[in-house]
Amino acid sequence: MDLLTGILATTFLAGGVLALAAMGEVLAERVGVVNLGAEGLMAMGAITGVATVAAVPSPALGFAAALVVGALFGMVFAFATVTIRANQVLCGLALTLIGTGLANTIGRSYSGTPSAAVFERVEVPLLSDIPILGPALFSQNVLLYLIYIVLPLGLHYLLFHTRHGLNMRAVGENPAAADAAGIPVGLIRFAYVTAGAALCGGAGAYLTLAFVPAWSDGMVAGRGWIAVSLVIFAGYRPVNAVLTALLFGLITSIGFVGQARNWPVAAPFLSMLPYLGTIALMIVPVLAWQKVRRLMAAPAALGEPFYRDVR
Amino acid sequence: MLQGLRLQRLPSVQPGIALAMRALAIAIVVLAASIALLVAGEDPIALGAQLVSATFSSTFGMEDFGLLVIPLILTGLSVAVGQQIGIWNIGAEGQFLVGAFAATAVGLFVPGPAWLILPLIIAAGALGGVVWILVPTLARAFVGVNELITTLLLNFVAALLVYYVSTGPWRDRVGMSNSSTPRITVEMPEFWGLIHWGLPIAILMALAAAAILAFSRWGYEVRLSGSNPSAAAYAGIAVRRHIITVMLLSGLIAGVAGAFELAGTVHRLQGGISNNFGYLGIMVAVLARNSCVGVIFTGILMAFILNSGIILQTQGITTSAVLAMTGAILFLTAIGDELAHYRILRAGSTRA
Repeated sequence: MDLLTGILATTFLAGGVLALAAMGEVLAERVGVVNLGAEGLMAMGAITGVATVAAVPSPALGFAAALVVGALFGMVFAFATVTIRANQVLCGLALTLIGTGLANTIGRSYSGTPSAAVFERVEVPLLSDIPILGPALFSQNVLLYLIYIVLPLGLHYLLFHTRHGLNMRAVGENPAAADAAGIPVGLIRFAYVTAGAALCGGAGAYLTLAFVPAWSDGMVAGRGWIAVSLVIFAGYRPVNAVLTALLFGLITSIGFVGQARNWPVAAPFLSMLPYLGTIALMIVPVLAWQKVRRLMAAPAALGEPFYRDVR
Repeated sequence: MLQGLRLQRLPSVQPGIALAMRALAIAIVVLAASIALLVAGEDPIALGAQLVSATFSSTFGMEDFGLLVIPLILTGLSVAVGQQIGIWNIGAEGQFLVGAFAATAVGLFVPGPAWLILPLIIAAGALGGVVWILVPTLARAFVGVNELITTLLLNFVAALLVYYVSTGPWRDRVGMSNSSTPRITVEMPEFWGLIHWGLPIAILMALAAAAILAFSRWGYEVRLSGSNPSAAAYAGIAVRRHIITVMLLSGLIAGVAGAFELAGTVHRLQGGISNNFGYLGIMVAVLARNSCVGVIFTGILMAFILNSGIILQTQGITTSAVLAMTGAILFLTAIGDELAHYRILRAGSTRA
């Protein structure tokens, strides 16, 4: 029973990183911009979180600072890809290299020491006493409620039940038509690429302030890329993105349990699971159900810059 | 004055401007790095002079530099070959690692004379690279799964695999280190000083790839499939088959790079053997605008940048800082490439 609780708790904890970053990526991709810089943004967010709490021991401040740093880098990325309309793949790869390289450079002086302050667990009265589920769901850090309840429902409502959300999706599907209808394509793309990047920065801070409370070189370890893949698998829907992230949380936590219980599998092989799982998830569903492709299709104008003045 | 001018976007990049933009991108990043060094209390000009003299005024410096050129030309070539058909192979890092891994397996466990083992090592590296890109290739060709992400994710798996064997079952039980395998006995013959024959072979591979792409029917079909897949398919070209061969070739080149690095430079498998060569290869290919001949020169340029980072390590600059600088150059290059689509026209000009 303790094992089950442990697995569940780690699933939610580990899935949170991916869920937050994937929701950020959903925002950018829904308005038609692929941000392959998620990995770099998370690295910058992670080191910002650590550096901020080292100066002022407040995890909330560290998280907020990471959101701001993510947004700043997002604005640079949006300037290049939306305003100048440079190649999104190249700019995204560049952002990953910049973010990872810069974070590792800044992080040298923080390496190895635990984060000065972390998000503490909050016991929800009564609910946390439920057997098995209680400790896993209702005795977690406060960010998790934001990640699993507030954000996905809020973003789902925004995207699919408001006029503004309809405009966002129109910008991602057919920017020329959206433009003709008077929707400010460039502005909407700029705003949501920035907002999405802020969430990726936040995901990095979540990593160092709630999940693995310390900075180490290369600690993001491909989570940004996994988040980008999850978005495809989740059909560009925020609630699906969170559910898929939970699935990956589960895979990660199985790896942890395996290491803790000395399963006869070497630790590096257990660490491979999330990457191999992502690849399997990208291939198998499309193989099995051809219909999935149409249902979960990407926004039609994804990755394509919009030129109003050039025909 | 400015009101008399307007911009016109051309459908293709103007090569001269794109080249100038690359030079400008590098200049801006070097300037920014110099300012950062100045703020940190270093003297960037003295450091620059130190770099040039450390690299070019001694045999030792030239050897270090030349050894970096080999993997960078090859990983750059790997990415550039994929780009001919519009494929992003971001997994050269992983294919490099598995190439080195397979080469190590032959080097450690297959006994025999050097003239036989050395070709086997390189063949094993090539095979390792091909195996590592096989699943992304099939997924891309038959199911349409984005190869960029699948090739990239396998980099992490490859790194874990190499970490596992070099600290676990294959670790050096005799030597001091327990994070690498024993030294393999066979090595690449030397070409100039410590620089092994990988250098001329890498250059030949780049020239051969360029020639095949430019002059063969296969190369023509590949380039056409890359620039307009539906037109190519309509013309009866087997686009899917070309995607498969090009991707496997891309993986093969990266795998050979790993085998060269192992048998020519490092001689033992260890965790950091790939040294970001795969990621820097993207940069090499982009700077060369995916020209297979161009990667020879941009590979040399990238080697100089990387070598500078390694020399400056005592000044507190790390390979991570080099990675960040590379990213910044890539970012500005992407912007420059878009700007190279435009030309300035006078209002009322008849050249519309």
